[in-house]
Amino acid sequence: MIDRLLDAARGKVDGADALWRREEQTAVSFESGRLKAAGISEEAGLNLRVVAHGRMGVAGTTAAKPDPKELVARAGASAELGEVVELAFPNPSPQSLTPISTFFDRTANASLSELIRMGRLLVERLARPDCQVNVAVQREVADTAVGNTAGARGEYRTTGFAVTADITRIAGDDVLMVYDQYVGADMPSDADLEALVRSVDTRLTAALKIVTPPDGALPVVFTPAGLAAVVLPLEQALSGKTVLQGSSPLAGKVGEALFDARLSIIDDPLTPGRPLSRPVDDECVPSRSNGLVERGVVRQFVYDLETAARAKTQSTGNGRRGVFGKPHIGYTNILFRGTNGGAQLAAPLHMLGGGLIADIEDGLIVDDLIGVGQGNVISGAFSHPVGLAYRVQRGEITGRVKDAAVAGNSYELLKKIGGFGNDGRWLGARWSPSLLLEGVSVARR
Amino acid sequence: MKDRLATAVKQSRAGYTEIRVERTWSSAVAFRGRRLETATVSEDQGGFVRVLNEGYGWGIASFTSLDELPAMVARANELSRAVRLDDPIRLAESAPHAGDAILELDGDVRGVALAEKKKLLDRYNSAMLAVSDKIVDTQSSYRDEVSEVWYVNSEGTSLYQLRPEVVVSGTAIGRRNGNIEKGLESIGLRKGWNSVQSFENQFRVVAQRAVDLLDAPRVRGGAYPVILDNELAGVFIHEAFGHLSEADFVYENPQAREMMTLGRRFGKQVLNVGDNGAAAGLRGTLPYDDEGTPTQDTPLIKEGILVGRLHSRETAAKLGERPTGNARAISFRHPPIVRMTNTYIAPGTKGVGFNDLISDIKLGVYACGAFGGQTMLENFSFTAGWGYMIRDGKVAELVKDVVLAGNLFQTLDRIDHIAGDFTWNQMGGGCGKGGQFPLPVTEGAPHVRIEEALIGGDV
Repeated sequence: MIDRLLDAARGKVDGADALWRREEQTAVSFESGRLKAAGISEEAGLNLRVVAHGRMGVAGTTAAKPDPKELVARAGASAELGEVVELAFPNPSPQSLTPISTFFDRTANASLSELIRMGRLLVERLARPDCQVNVAVQREVADTAVGNTAGARGEYRTTGFAVTADITRIAGDDVLMVYDQYVGADMPSDADLEALVRSVDTRLTAALKIVTPPDGALPVVFTPAGLAAVVLPLEQALSGKTVLQGSSPLAGKVGEALFDARLSIIDDPLTPGRPLSRPVDDECVPSRSNGLVERGVVRQFVYDLETAARAKTQSTGNGRRGVFGKPHIGYTNILFRGTNGGAQLAAPLHMLGGGLIADIEDGLIVDDLIGVGQGNVISGAFSHPVGLAYRVQRGEITGRVKDAAVAGNSYELLKKIGGFGNDGRWLGARWSPSLLLEGVSVARR
Repeated sequence: MKDRLATAVKQSRAGYTEIRVERTWSSAVAFRGRRLETATVSEDQGGFVRVLNEGYGWGIASFTSLDELPAMVARANELSRAVRLDDPIRLAESAPHAGDAILELDGDVRGVALAEKKKLLDRYNSAMLAVSDKIVDTQSSYRDEVSEVWYVNSEGTSLYQLRPEVVVSGTAIGRRNGNIEKGLESIGLRKGWNSVQSFENQFRVVAQRAVDLLDAPRVRGGAYPVILDNELAGVFIHEAFGHLSEADFVYENPQAREMMTLGRRFGKQVLNVGDNGAAAGLRGTLPYDDEGTPTQDTPLIKEGILVGRLHSRETAAKLGERPTGNARAISFRHPPIVRMTNTYIAPGTKGVGFNDLISDIKLGVYACGAFGGQTMLENFSFTAGWGYMIRDGKVAELVKDVVLAGNLFQTLDRIDHIAGDFTWNQMGGGCGKGGQFPLPVTEGAPHVRIEEALIGGDV
């Protein structure tokens, strides 16, 4: 399909690149402990970008039998209004692509009954009196092909597997929700499922007792799940796009030590077994691992072809595109680690706090915040009510706190990190351990 | 198309079968700063099949290749039969409807050249950039669509709906050294080209606000009397209460049912809340939901008392209530689930205005505009775009980073005054639930006073 499309574009435009993706999914869902639905979905789409008379345009379609001429004409019309760009479509040799494992046969072939078996196992293991358990299990196979008129071609298959489990416990007017997930390119082992059960169970058990929240500027352990609000500003600021636009606080700071000297941030599309890993990006740029912050020092930003051309630099292989719209910058697998690499799963998941609470006189463990991403994110300032948080007193978890809000500024807090937990893990496309941050504002009613 | 779907439904061997096919024509323009990002026209199309068999669960298939329709119906039936259920799923009665529901296009966006749309957005984007040299970046977008939806089920419902939508939004980023602030304007309507022509001033105002916020202090964290402006009060009722009124939260959960017993008091006498999918021309408006049930105005809280909830056919059957036309899917890629449409706090006493609400407040916060909100049912967050301190009954200095941390039971019960100045929000965002985002919804409210609410921030 890609070849036919690029052939149709040749001669009509200065250059073009395209992505074709076909995805096929099977999913089962358990609601309140019982299997309620099974579903499949199949989707294929084609995205074309052209440069015509120096201007860029895009077009996409989910039509079953796309007409290459129509798509080229539509992209051409889009280019008539488009900006002038100096895109150099890359043509890497196929040998320059790093082979990585993104496809697992047993996941691709996992049967409906296997999905149901996993779901049942989780439902049984998580069942508690007066608690509602929801579980969803999903497998996916995706075929991706990318190409451009410079002659580059890339093709790969990926599998993905996601298991989510949540427990809702309502006691009077108290609503407690605990959630965790397994996401990988391969299906989970029984040990992975067991870890999921223990993670949910530990956090539920520690939450049964409600205690008064503390207030003031306090030490707070952000678990890998709770950390989202703290790292989101950095993810925005390290994007080459916000740097170009002048809205990134990190613009012009390459080479400066702005963070704790143990903190490194890496975008790595080559991690084996992750669903977002890929040998080549969606613009035919070979994948490579990029150190964005190294030992506290800002090293580089992530770029796609267009922003790289505008910034007079090279794409970092972070081009991402959907069926509709133009390619944009996207992270792949992003890792937040301490100097020693952060021992992966050195501590069992059921140790809340990653071994960081022993010296806390009075503080919090924050596992979930509400409204993350809705404020003035890029400024680094955040302020959120807690969704799930625990009070720590004299080195021990004393119970769950409600009706409290935490606030701070990521850039300030990450200058000095009180400790990196020994509980590093993947959560979707992000890997991090728990972090102990000092002086986080905690307000209570 | 209806005939094609009817034939496929007839051939289905399942007890209940429904098919939804969508074809969406859309165009989009985006600016980032002075630069055009994209100007494109797209067509997305696909189908969704859902079947149910007595004693079995839902079998679901979604697909982009319509040639596969008969095969997908068969496949959905197999999937349903793989899901054995002791307690069968029932669907509440919904009278069959047949016909076409064509919403007013108000200037068919399909007939307007892409260059015109670029020009319109350029005007709004430039208005923001022209406000100050401190506006370093903008993100502006124009998006329109006309969606054709065919829906046929095995109970005789056969519908064709034409649903237009247009959204214009802009974010202005103000910056002075390391200090970065934003202002956000967004207009979203279930209308067309004619309805989005004259908003320059609104875009100018938000850019000016981003600049003004550079000098504003962060609000101090703590508990305050809080006045919500119309926009934020709307987002508040959506997050704080609306999601709990969605019956899929309670229908299989005895404890949740008890917590949400009809007749329970949730607020003071002044509080009246509802959801109205049948209101004209709003973003959440639809003639029929995605199960073919007509939409309606559903009272949820009357004079402080819980009186209703939002239903799909499945949740209504389970609770012995009537479907309310709230089963919605964001596209053919998803099954319909219980969702809000246009949710509102009804106006209080006519003639009561903002000044009447603040006159006896010694120290409080006037929270305005909405960057967003999220709920975890009992607890929720909503982020104001900006705010002012209220001192001695008067609006005082501008403050930033105003985020309200709410608890459903405490916060609703602390609403003690509601003004008479009701307006519908026309924001272009959307609601997310169960992986389906953004669903077009809106809210409406007058100014609302909460006796005491928690605001996050430095303490």
